[in-house]
This record gives sequence, C-alpha cells and structure tokens, in this order.
Amino acid sequence: MSLDEFSFNAENGSNRERMRRKNYDYDTQVFKSKNLEVERRRREKLSTRILLLRSLVPIITMQQPLELHLMNKATIVEDAITYIETQQNIVQSLSYELHEMEATSEEIKPKKEEIDAAEEMNKLGIVQATKIDGNKLWVKMIIEKKRGRFKKLMEAMDNIGIELIDTNVTTLKKAYLVTTFMQVTLGKIGIFVMDIVWGN
Amino acid sequence: MHEQTGCFDPNTMGESVPFLKDNFPQTLPPSPIVVGNTTNSNNNSLEQNLRLSVEELSYNHYYPQHQEDHVSTYVSGVTATSIEIPHPQHLGLNMGNSYINNNNNMDNHLVQEVIDAYPYQLSTWDPATVQELQDIAYANHTEQQQQQQQNEQQFQQIETQNCSQSYNNPSSILDPPYPSPDLLNLLHMPRCSASSLLTNPSICLTNPTQNTPNFQNPMAFLGDLTIGSENTSASSVLYDPLFHLNLPPQPPALRELFQSLPRGYSLPTNSRNGSLFAGGDEMEGDGSQLDMGVLEFNRVTPSVGKGRGGKATKHFATEKQRREQLNGKYKILRNLIPSPTKIDRASVVGDAIDYIRELIRTVNELKLLVEKKRYAKERYKRPKTEEDAAESCNIKPFGDPDGGIRTSWLQRKSKDSEVDVRIIDDDVTIKLFQRKKINCLLFVSKVLDELQLELHHVAGGHVGEYCSFLFNSKIMEGSSVYASAIANRVIDVLDSQYTAAVPHTNSY
Repeated sequence: MSLDEFSFNAENGSNRERMRRKNYDYDTQVFKSKNLEVERRRREKLSTRILLLRSLVPIITMQQPLELHLMNKATIVEDAITYIETQQNIVQSLSYELHEMEATSEEIKPKKEEIDAAEEMNKLGIVQATKIDGNKLWVKMIIEKKRGRFKKLMEAMDNIGIELIDTNVTTLKKAYLVTTFMQVTLGKIGIFVMDIVWGN
Repeated sequence: MHEQTGCFDPNTMGESVPFLKDNFPQTLPPSPIVVGNTTNSNNNSLEQNLRLSVEELSYNHYYPQHQEDHVSTYVSGVTATSIEIPHPQHLGLNMGNSYINNNNNMDNHLVQEVIDAYPYQLSTWDPATVQELQDIAYANHTEQQQQQQQNEQQFQQIETQNCSQSYNNPSSILDPPYPSPDLLNLLHMPRCSASSLLTNPSICLTNPTQNTPNFQNPMAFLGDLTIGSENTSASSVLYDPLFHLNLPPQPPALRELFQSLPRGYSLPTNSRNGSLFAGGDEMEGDGSQLDMGVLEFNRVTPSVGKGRGGKATKHFATEKQRREQLNGKYKILRNLIPSPTKIDRASVVGDAIDYIRELIRTVNELKLLVEKKRYAKERYKRPKTEEDAAESCNIKPFGDPDGGIRTSWLQRKSKDSEVDVRIIDDDVTIKLFQRKKINCLLFVSKVLDELQLELHHVAGGHVGEYCSFLFNSKIMEGSSVYASAIANRVIDVLDSQYTAAVPHTNSY
C-alpha cells in the first residue's frame, strides 16, 4: 500500500511534501501545524498575485496547445515580460512624439514671454522676522508672485548659508505667503538677513 | 503580395498533393482574408509618416487577427501556411513598436496551425523515408545550434543595434528595399518567446523560405533557438534505447511508432559532422518536411511527463531545466521593474502588477497629451494639409471623449529618496521624501521652473535626518509635461546632488 502511495505522489511534487509532513505528524504535531500553515500561506500569497498578474496582462500565449496550460507560471511571467516591454516602447514613442510636437510649437513661447515682460512691476513685499533662541529665526514674507521668484529666494537663502528647518508656502492670486523657520549657520545678524531678503 | 502568394501555391500543390485532395472545398473561404490584408496594407502605406496613427492602426490589426485566429481553426494547415506569408509584409510596414504586438499574434497563429494540422497526420500514413529525411534535418538543427552558442553574444549585439536604429531613424526602415524590414521582424520574433518549446521550431518554417539569398541569416536565428533545442536533444538521447526495445509491431499503436522511429535515426546523425550542409539544403528546399518535424516535436513532449523507464534521471533533468527557466524569467521580470522592493517571488510579482498599472496610466496620459497638442495646433489656425485631415478622422474614434479628465500617478524610489507624483487635469502634486540633509527645496524649485510648473503651495521641513516636502503646482498652458518626466527629473536631480554633497561633507 505504501508503494502505491509513493508512486502516486511521485507525479506531484507538492503531494510529496505532504507525505513528509505526515511523517512528522506522528512525531510532533507542533512542527506540523506551524510549518504547514506558514507554507500554505506563502503559496496562497504567491498564487493570488499570479492570478492578479494574469488578469492584468492581455497577452495569452499557450505554450503547449495540446494540454492547454493557460495557468502555467512560466507562461504568465513570460507574457508579463513581453507586455511590459511593449508598453515601455509605446511610452518612449509617445514621449518622442511629444518632444517633436513641442519643438515645432516653439512659436507659442515668445508670446508668453512678451506677456510676462509687460507685467513687470516693481512691488516690494512684506517681511516680518522674529528671533528665537539666538541662532534661529521665524520669518514671514509676503512677496509678489512671479515665475522664478521662489527659486531666486531659495538661491539667496542658500548663498547666505541659511538652513530652512520648516517651510510653508501658500499662494493667493498674485502673492506668495512664505513662512519659514530657519537656522543661520554662519552666525550672521538677523538685520543683515532681513536686508538681503528685503532687497530680493 | 499577390505575386508571392501566386508563386507559393504551386509549390504547396506539388509537395502536398494528398492534402489538397482532402481539403479542396475549404480553400475558398480564406481568400477574403487576403483581400482584407491588402486593404489594411494600403491604409498603412498612406500614413507611413504618422507614428500615432500607425500605432492605433496596429490595434486595428490586433482585432481582425483575432478573427483570423477563429477562422484558421476551420482552415487546413496548408492554407494556413499560405496565409502566413503576407504577414511579414505587414510587419515590414509597421513601425518598430508594433513588432512585438504582431509577433505575439504570429505566435498564436503559428501555434493554432499546429493544432489544425495534428489530426490530419494521424489520419494519413506517411512513408518511412520521409521521416528519415525529417529526422536528419531536425538533428542538423541541433548540431548547428550547438556550434552557434559561441556566437550568441554577437547576434544579441546586432539585435540591440537594429532596435536602436529602428527608433532613431524611423524613415530609414521604409526607404531601403524590401528584405531589410524582414530581417528586423525575424530578429525580434525569437526574442519574444525564446523559451517556448513549440514556437521555436515553427519559427524555422518561415526563415529559410524568406532568407534563401542570405545563407548567414538562418545561422543567426538558429543561435537564438539553443534553449529549446537543448531540452529536445537531452530527451532524445535519454529515451532512444528504451523505445527500440519497446517497439510494438501492432498497427493500432500508431502514435508510438511515430514517436519511436525518428529517435532511432537521430543518434547516428548526431555523430556525423559532414551532414550539416545536406541538412541546410533540405531546410531551404522543402517547407512541408519542416511541418512534419514540428508535429513530431509535439508528440515528443507529452511523453516527457509520463513515467516510463529511467524515472529518476528523466524527472531530474526535466525538472531542473524547468526550474532554471522559471528562475531566469523571474530575474528578467525583476530587472524590468524600475524600483523593486524585495527579491522573493511574491514581491516581484506584486511589483510587476503595480508597474503594469502604472504603465497603462502613463500610456493613456501620453495619448491625451498628444491629442491636446494637435488640437492646440488646429486652434492656432494653421493651414490644414491632407494629412492633418486624415489625422483628425483617425484620432477621434480611438481617443477618450472630450470630457475625460487626465489622471496619472507615479512612484519612484532610489537609495535615499522617494518621489510620488500625481496629476489631475492640470494640477500636479509632488511628495518628496529624502534621507540626509540637502537643501531639497532649492533644487526642486529649480526643477519645477525648468518643467514649467507654476508653484502654488509648499509644505514640509526637516525631521531628524529626513526631510519631507509636499508641492502643489499647476501646469502652465502650452507645456506638455507628463508624470514620468517629472518623477525621473526630480529623482535624478536629488541623486546627483546627493553624490555631489558627499565631498562637500568631507570638507568639513
């Protein structure tokens, strides 16, 4: 009888493992239940994800048409690989086409540049600074909203050597509200900081 | 196209007269399919310069080929081979991106051909001499493949060069004469399904008939087929002596006879080195004999699973090869994902699922952007040429409706930083998370200016060794930024600044 079971289990690898666990079952049940549950959970996790992967990929190739193994793991992974490669190629071609169209549509940009130039107005913002703990400042600024304004502010801060610990920027129609908690690393005086920021 | 189909028919009639006698009434239905292909090719020729329209038409090709697959189940193998020949012409006309899609359709088509032809073989009695010739040709495949293993790397480099050429110079593919697109198509074909057992021999069917002037080209394709052939050669060596002993003389066991005879003759031909050229001539000359070889190859594989003499070695060899193939595929899949999390299989499959969803969203986003660009061109009242009119006709049915809102979501990770980009219509939300203190706010604001994003809201700061920021910005009119460009740009800047900051810290 055991020989028949062995020959039957030889065809399926997973059943062979269960055969071994039944052997362990006679010795210690704790080992059997623990390992069995963990292994079962792992297999279930992998199989559910493979099913989900199969549902996402529209490509289906039948590796052995006579036996129709649609759910073979190797074919599922292979189809996923081919599908990812095709999608990546599509993304590349579309982005290349966008760049071409953008190059041909350079005429749009100078119009906007003219508009930006027309709107240049010299407005100075509001700056409030509060000194905290000798080396740190809490600064509140209201500055006019322009395209490169925030970048210039950040560059100025970086040149001075200020480290921004917390930053919050809010935008209304034509203005930035910048509140920062900063730390002056090079020991400069707060007044100089205010002057530089104000000058920006 | 018509000329080639006309030239091919008398060869098939000459080679397989008994098949035509049995299948004569079924030859009439596939003729409208050929006509349909000609109309599709005319559409392609009109719009060769337009890349998106060709891709959308490739989806058109996808659906009628489904119909062809359905029809081919009722058509005999001989007529199916005649249908397959015009397909490379379509592949030549399509661009590089559509190669893989059409090749997958080709693979499905070829596999179904095998299904159709299988029952006809059982019904007819084949002479032993034909099988001998097929075995010699098939064995020569294996010998040539073994010799070509050393040259695989060179051919792979050639493939990569061809791929790059196809993208950089799309017009150059169409300008040169006809045979060069076939080379590109055939180079792509084995890469898609290199490890599938059945499609490898079936791909050999088309190669020698099309590449008869170039002798070196089939050698290149044979080099790619080593993976599939090694399995067959190993199995043939293991099983041959047993089937000699177990040959049943009774006629009802026809399948076993078909399985046993070719293996008996494969052994002496493997030892011979001089038979390569003879096999090559037979490959180029006769297409139907290779069909027979494919069918016999199909019969070999079911016997592998069955338990017969020599269980341990047989099972061990095939099981080990199967595991190696599966591990290789998981490695390839893991290399394709831009930011993998862990190495185990469940994580790899999960990351693949997320990445596929991301790719689908990205493709939809880019298509919307392309449509908006064209609409913007029309809005500026440029003179409309015929091509523009054709574009507008073709784009509308495939594009999303006008009310569709653009949405996209990406995540990217590198060693020390994470970026999450979300786009809804023209609002962009960027979440940034980075270890180590670098003035992130400065560099990210520079990137936003480069990408023409209008800053609306920033929040964030340093927490311990980490810094975290949230940016809300708006896409300016006329710019064509998309989520993957933003994410890649931001993460490149952060990584480059991090590498630049390392010597800076050393100076302290």
